[in-house]
Amino acid sequence: MKPAGMHFPCVAALCLMLFARTLEASGLVNTNMIRTVRLTQLPFVHEQVGVVVQNEHASKAFKTYTALVDDEKATHLASIKVHERKSGAELETVQVDGGRYRATLRRALQPGEKISLNIETVFVNTVDARPARVKQTEDQFWEWADAPLVPSAYATRKQKTTVHVPSREAATTFGPYFDSNANTTQISVAFKSNNEQLEALTHRREYLVSHWADDLNVLEHYQLRSRAPENDGPFDKVAQTVSKYMKVRDNFVKTLLVKVPADAREMYVVDEIGNVSTSAVSGRRHRAAEDGGSFKIMQLRPRYPLLGGWNYTWWHGYSVPLSSHLRTQGARHRLKVPFVGSIAGCAAADDQLSVAMAERQNTAVAAYELRVVLPEGAANIDVRMSLAADSVRRQPFSYYFDSSGRTVVVIKRRNLPPDAAHQSVLVMYDYSVLSLWQKPLVIATAIFALFMLGSAVNRLHFGLAGKSHKKKNKKQQQQQQEKTLDNSN
Amino acid sequence: MAGKVLGLTAVDQTSLLRIGILGLISLVAIGSRLYSVLRFESVIHEFDPWFNYRTTRYLVDNGFDKFWNWFDETAWYPLGRVVGGTLYPGIMVTSAAINNALHAVNIPVDVRNVCVFLAPVFSALTAVATYKLGKEVQSETAGLLAAAFMGIAPGYISRSVAGSYDNEGIAIFLLVLTFFLWLRAVRLGSAAYAAVTAAAYFYMVSAWGGYVFIINMIPLHAFALLAMGRYSNRLYVAYSTFYVLGTLASMQIPFVGFQPTFTSEHMAALGTFGLMQIAAFAGLVRAQLPAQQFQTLVRAAVVAAFAAGCAGLAVLTATGAIAPWTGRFYSLWDTAYAKVHIPIIASVSEHQPTPWTNFFFDLNILIWLFPAGIYFSFRQLTDHHVFLVLYALFASYFAGVMVRLMLTLTPIVCVMGGISMANVFESFLGAGPTSDASTGSANSSTDSVGGSGGDRKKKNPAKAVPKRLAGESAQDGSAQPAPDGGDTQQGQSARQKRLYALVPRVAVMANFLYFLCMYQWHCSWVTSSAYSSPSVVLASRAPDGTTHIIDDFREAYYWLRKNTEADAKVLSWWDYGYQLAGMADRTTLVDNNTWNNTHIATVGRIMASDEDTAYAIARSLDVNYVLVVFGGMLGYSGDDINKFLWMIRIAQGVYPDHVRENDFFNDQGQYSIGDSASPAMRASLMHKMSYYRFNEVMGGRAFDRVRKQQLPSSVTLDNFEEAYTTENWMVRIYRVKDLDNLGRSHHAVAALAGRRGSA
Repeated sequence: MKPAGMHFPCVAALCLMLFARTLEASGLVNTNMIRTVRLTQLPFVHEQVGVVVQNEHASKAFKTYTALVDDEKATHLASIKVHERKSGAELETVQVDGGRYRATLRRALQPGEKISLNIETVFVNTVDARPARVKQTEDQFWEWADAPLVPSAYATRKQKTTVHVPSREAATTFGPYFDSNANTTQISVAFKSNNEQLEALTHRREYLVSHWADDLNVLEHYQLRSRAPENDGPFDKVAQTVSKYMKVRDNFVKTLLVKVPADAREMYVVDEIGNVSTSAVSGRRHRAAEDGGSFKIMQLRPRYPLLGGWNYTWWHGYSVPLSSHLRTQGARHRLKVPFVGSIAGCAAADDQLSVAMAERQNTAVAAYELRVVLPEGAANIDVRMSLAADSVRRQPFSYYFDSSGRTVVVIKRRNLPPDAAHQSVLVMYDYSVLSLWQKPLVIATAIFALFMLGSAVNRLHFGLAGKSHKKKNKKQQQQQQEKTLDNSN
Repeated sequence: MAGKVLGLTAVDQTSLLRIGILGLISLVAIGSRLYSVLRFESVIHEFDPWFNYRTTRYLVDNGFDKFWNWFDETAWYPLGRVVGGTLYPGIMVTSAAINNALHAVNIPVDVRNVCVFLAPVFSALTAVATYKLGKEVQSETAGLLAAAFMGIAPGYISRSVAGSYDNEGIAIFLLVLTFFLWLRAVRLGSAAYAAVTAAAYFYMVSAWGGYVFIINMIPLHAFALLAMGRYSNRLYVAYSTFYVLGTLASMQIPFVGFQPTFTSEHMAALGTFGLMQIAAFAGLVRAQLPAQQFQTLVRAAVVAAFAAGCAGLAVLTATGAIAPWTGRFYSLWDTAYAKVHIPIIASVSEHQPTPWTNFFFDLNILIWLFPAGIYFSFRQLTDHHVFLVLYALFASYFAGVMVRLMLTLTPIVCVMGGISMANVFESFLGAGPTSDASTGSANSSTDSVGGSGGDRKKKNPAKAVPKRLAGESAQDGSAQPAPDGGDTQQGQSARQKRLYALVPRVAVMANFLYFLCMYQWHCSWVTSSAYSSPSVVLASRAPDGTTHIIDDFREAYYWLRKNTEADAKVLSWWDYGYQLAGMADRTTLVDNNTWNNTHIATVGRIMASDEDTAYAIARSLDVNYVLVVFGGMLGYSGDDINKFLWMIRIAQGVYPDHVRENDFFNDQGQYSIGDSASPAMRASLMHKMSYYRFNEVMGGRAFDRVRKQQLPSSVTLDNFEEAYTTENWMVRIYRVKDLDNLGRSHHAVAALAGRRGSA
């Protein structure tokens, strides 16, 4: 525990008290608040705020509760959910503006009544390395730091914060603080963690639907950065080589493990300058813990091992049978695909890799884009998904031999939460048999037209003294001869 | 005539067969060039192709105008390079056009794939063009054989495998096409064909510096015809049209510009053009004068004009009005010239004289058929054959002087091979049976091989050998009309005779068939084993037969691309300049363009200097990273230490006071790298960067696997720090340190902190 900054600026205190007064007037009061921060799944930071809310207003009943998120932390927010603690029911939560989220209570809170709520938030990349630079083989240390008080739209009587870190059993507790009076401006916890942490600066996943080939092509494009502390001093090849052969731990992320469906085929890994020839696919099928589906593991080795702060960009892809993702009712097609794939960075050497490593979630996606390329002629497109998206758009797109073009559904979202990997997207569209035959017909017509054109051009003669002229001349000559003959006769 | 098959007449059948054969040849030509893609991947090979690829990408992304006016500030830092004006844009424009055409019909291919497969596709076109050329000069049989040879000749494949995206990939096609069109233009005296020739020539000029070969070859042909007294109006029309249009067109390429008007390489064409006008004028005069006087007059005039032209040329060259020959040209006459005067040209392996084994390696049996083809050409010696003989002579000379020019020799060797092989076929399969039949009975075609072959081939001399080959066809033709019948006794002995005649025929044909099979075998083997390695990616074979890909170059380049500042300047020897620009996308100081010898020498000097001098120069040039290639770990012999002597030589050429080649040999006169190395060698940046801390990982008494020498025991490096080293130590990248904050020297700082690498 390291309470930092012991003094408390008077101005800030005054402001806060004024603020608190105005809030109190609204009538809702947080009588008790317990914030639990779990840092065991970095770079994801799970915060759960258990709060007892009491309506102290004389007459007014409250239908909603507003949760606040710091402006600074709001850019790192991956998800926010509000549950009623007693029933466990999730409350409908909408973003009002900036960092204000309004949850609608299931039943209006009458004057004098109390309710317990759980506000669960996930932030990504809010924990930084301290020191920011270490040597290749040294341990990594991290520091979680935050304000001691949970921001709230309402007055808070009592609150405390508990922090769980990966390296220690015992949790660290700050508080309790009464009536928003903390004797510090910042609380922080330092801890050791050598777990790999990666950040996908951008990640794009593309589905390409082909009805002809019964093929669903998946393409995943990553721009990845290792969040490990940067290297202190120059790169040390000797140390790297030695730790490789001596099997000593170092901070290089050497392998990226990608779970792919068991029926995936035609896999490839490419980056901007060609094939990444060092990748492999494990032949064994594994059974997923959550949904029971089976998967294989693609062992992807970047061209160079990733040290802290190093970037790597690549894309990989594979095909799966379309039929396992598509349900058809007449012309109506329902395509159900995973919202996002999973990837796990791994610092372990090749012979120490395990399936459990592939199941870890240590890659936070900062900017995500999902593209579903529907077949040419798909109409009445309807997209459903459980995860909120920042934007859902439809774009025209042309692919191999398209004549009328097709539609791409583009879904964008910032900061994916860890449970996004278990979500799926349902895209429904109409696709008629005629559309299926459109492409072959267009191509056949085009080739036939070319053939006709070629044959027509072949029959024409462009020369000045062409055959036809000669023929004509001959005919004329003949006629003339005949005439002269006639005349002579 | 044979009966109709599938409703086709015999003529249609043969043309269908020809199209089929040509199609198959094209397929084989493309197919055999795909080894590299199958073995490795669809990747751009070697060095220059990376520049072509990068510029093609730029063209596709930014459009033609921007491409044309492109000033690339990321090359030749700090000088920059006017890219649009210093390249042959043909190949880029071709690829971009293909790319855009494919995208227009919604085939979203990547530009890289267009570039990778451009050369194989064009090699199929080359085969077709060779067929046309062979048909033009001899017969369809010769054409088909030449096309088949051309399709898989290793001499051509060496520069046109998939991924070898270089100018030669399309230029050889254009070379053959231009020559074919020229010969046709001369035969027909057609201004239209001459104009098409000029257009093909223009395309060639836009594609490859080797166009100079055409603009000397065609005038030479015209001049030779003039000198042989074969002047005709057809030649006049063809040459004048070609020269005027072709020269004007070629001047539209900025890189060529006004060169056709003032450089020595183009003077022969101009002179021949003048002679042609004089000859035409003489033709006019001839009409007015008696023949004998005219002859002497013409002779005198031609000789006088030629002498005056040469004298004028000499004077203009001497006074500098005509640009003198370039260094590369001098080295064509004197192979030792470059080594003495311009080490940078001599340092390129493809500019070395050709070892004689290469001729057999690249051409196989064609090298034996080639002289035979020349012999047959001499026998006929039409205008076309004059051209072939001249082409053969000059191309053989140039191919002997420079390895790279094997490329220009290959087409003529293939055509000559086609001609001689066609002659063999025609004498042993075609004309043979018919001449036999003249003495034999009508039912002589029992021998199915010779008979059916003869049946087919018989048409060729009859149809394809044109009237201009009067001498040849007269010999065969005299035997053609077979007197029918003959009595049975005669028939009996004739059958015996025929049987005896059959033996050598079968033997010869079997022999040649064997040769042809061996040719195909050899070509495939050479292609697969020698010419299909991308050199960007290396493959090694484990004892158990599995291939292990060594991808260190791309590892290093990609590391630079993703983990250095976008405007970082990377210093390396010029060999890697294009690859750095293409794969690492970083600013380079020198690259494979080698247009500025001084700048290259400066880089050589940095590599050859001691640490402090190198640091000062590198900092003055804003260098952020230094990249060296080191093969000592893996035994990769093409590394920088092995190229180091060339760097020293080139640097010495410009900085003789600072760099001396002799300093780098030790007392025993050896080029050593270990503890017995000369002081200059051990102090040099190249040596330090290659061996920095290498012995720590290899253990005490380790060896450099390339040099087979013991490693130096102590290597210190203070002004530069290791930034990245690839898996097999093949590429080592160093960061140029910033100046010390306290103004100390880096040596002092390192001494204070305790040095690494000094073990």
